[in-house]
Amino acid sequence: EDALLPAPQNISILSTNMKHFLTWSPVMVQGETVRYSVEFQGEYEREYANESWIPICECSLMAATECNITEDISATVAYNLRVRANAGTRRSEWGTLKGFFNRVTTSLTPPLMKVIADGYHLLVELEDMGPAFQFCVLYWKKGQESRMQQKVVKEASSVVHLDTMEAGLDYCVKAQAYVEAINRSSSFSQTKCVRAQGGTSVWL
Amino acid sequence: GELYCSLPNPRNVHFESVNMKNVLHWSAPEGMGDGVLYKVKYSVYGVGKWIRKPECRNTNRTWCDLSSETSDYEEQYYASVKAFLNGRCSDWVETARFNPLTDTKIDPPMVSVSSTEKSIAIILTAPEKWKRSPERESVSLLQVYPGLQYNVSVLNKKTKKRWFFSINNNTLLVPWLEPGTAYCVSAQIHVPTPLLHSGFSKEYCISTLKDKTA
Amino acid sequence: TVGNKIFHFGPCRVSMSMTEIRSGFNTIKANIQARDPIRTLSILSYPHSLHKVKSSDRCCVSHQLFNFYVDKVFRHCRTEDPYINRKISSIANSFLSIRRNFQQCQEQKNCVCDQESLEKLKQVLENYEGLNVTAAAMKALGELDILLDWME
Repeated sequence: EDALLPAPQNISILSTNMKHFLTWSPVMVQGETVRYSVEFQGEYEREYANESWIPICECSLMAATECNITEDISATVAYNLRVRANAGTRRSEWGTLKGFFNRVTTSLTPPLMKVIADGYHLLVELEDMGPAFQFCVLYWKKGQESRMQQKVVKEASSVVHLDTMEAGLDYCVKAQAYVEAINRSSSFSQTKCVRAQGGTSVWL
Repeated sequence: GELYCSLPNPRNVHFESVNMKNVLHWSAPEGMGDGVLYKVKYSVYGVGKWIRKPECRNTNRTWCDLSSETSDYEEQYYASVKAFLNGRCSDWVETARFNPLTDTKIDPPMVSVSSTEKSIAIILTAPEKWKRSPERESVSLLQVYPGLQYNVSVLNKKTKKRWFFSINNNTLLVPWLEPGTAYCVSAQIHVPTPLLHSGFSKEYCISTLKDKTA
Repeated sequence: TVGNKIFHFGPCRVSMSMTEIRSGFNTIKANIQARDPIRTLSILSYPHSLHKVKSSDRCCVSHQLFNFYVDKVFRHCRTEDPYINRKISSIANSFLSIRRNFQQCQEQKNCVCDQESLEKLKQVLENYEGLNVTAAAMKALGELDILLDWME
């Protein structure tokens, strides 16, 4: 089997909110469909398993130039990743990601958030960012930023009750996403304020 | 001595466990049903011997309650079933390894609700672990799973809006509600690790009292 | 939620992604345990259950068992099933990450083994080395929930 195919280039990781994708530039071969295979190697494999590589079945001989590696990057250690091109019986050398990838470097975005005043009750609805996420929600009476209260919301799948409100007062809320597995938080969302019953309800 | 074992095997031999009431279930051998008898044995993983279950000897049922024999949830277990018919028998067929702590299903909590004019008070009770007899001391699943939490849903029947609360203790007071309004409450148990959760209980509805001043 | 858990061993705190490990193990548990035909021996629980370990010894025994799995067990657990291998890899890399957290406790002298816990660990190794290496590794991997249940 001759390795005439060029190895994939521009191999990089796109990692946002604990979803990790390996991407690379397509290898062009006139008149042939090029397919790609991806493998990973965790720190364990490097140090204890003879530097073995593990194939990702979902990204084996596929035409796309992107592979979702989220399920396999499931420990907070340094991973190596590589991809190879195949066309017919020919295949390339492995193209390896420059440097390691550790999920602790994922970029975290603030959660989308909807704040609701339902009578005297302050409620929040948060974006479901996936099982790795919980949320730190801060809320306070408008103008009393020094007396912020905090609530940790573990599941974002519904309208969560924060607290009761005094009639006619404005309450403000902001939230940040937190990932326990990597012990990191996003920046805070925009602050949103609502008014409790007993005054004109205004969405600010 | 062993009978000639040419009978087809019992199928789908497995534990069904709810609140650690651990019952062995199986299906009759292919194409058979009436007249087939069974015997059951079980073993503690890591301990040498198989132990027969006398109450399930020569039974025609396709289940056998092994709750008593598998009540220590710090251990793991295997069970096995053999079928007999007209002097012929099957092989022993085993379950997968059974871990009562992680393989049991949990019932929803009991929910009791009371109301005043502007609030409802909710008291939740976790189900009890299976026990040998009613006289025995009850053990709440809260003691088995210390990290147990409750997710509570409160539905305003008038506005159709549903709120969720996540609480660690078993009481919840929801103040500042509308008088003379029906609210429906249901609750679920959530155990963070080992990851287990019950379904939501049925809804318990109650109305806040009418506003006397209105 | 995929939750970490902070384990407190006296003054020492070790963060562990227990839910990730458990969910990885749950997907392969039936397959791995089915490969272990020996019902009459448990590597972790023979002759005494881990639940007999004194609470003061929990840090040391936990740390040493993590070393046992990282150094001895996972490397012999390769199967013919690529999906199973991927899940074993994620558990092994999680154990490696957790073991690093333990090492910080060790350096602070908060995770010292006394004679009784050394005996327990010695027994685990004897149980393990009493079997051929692949059978022993598969049995130990199949007993991961015994370790996790005890730790939690």
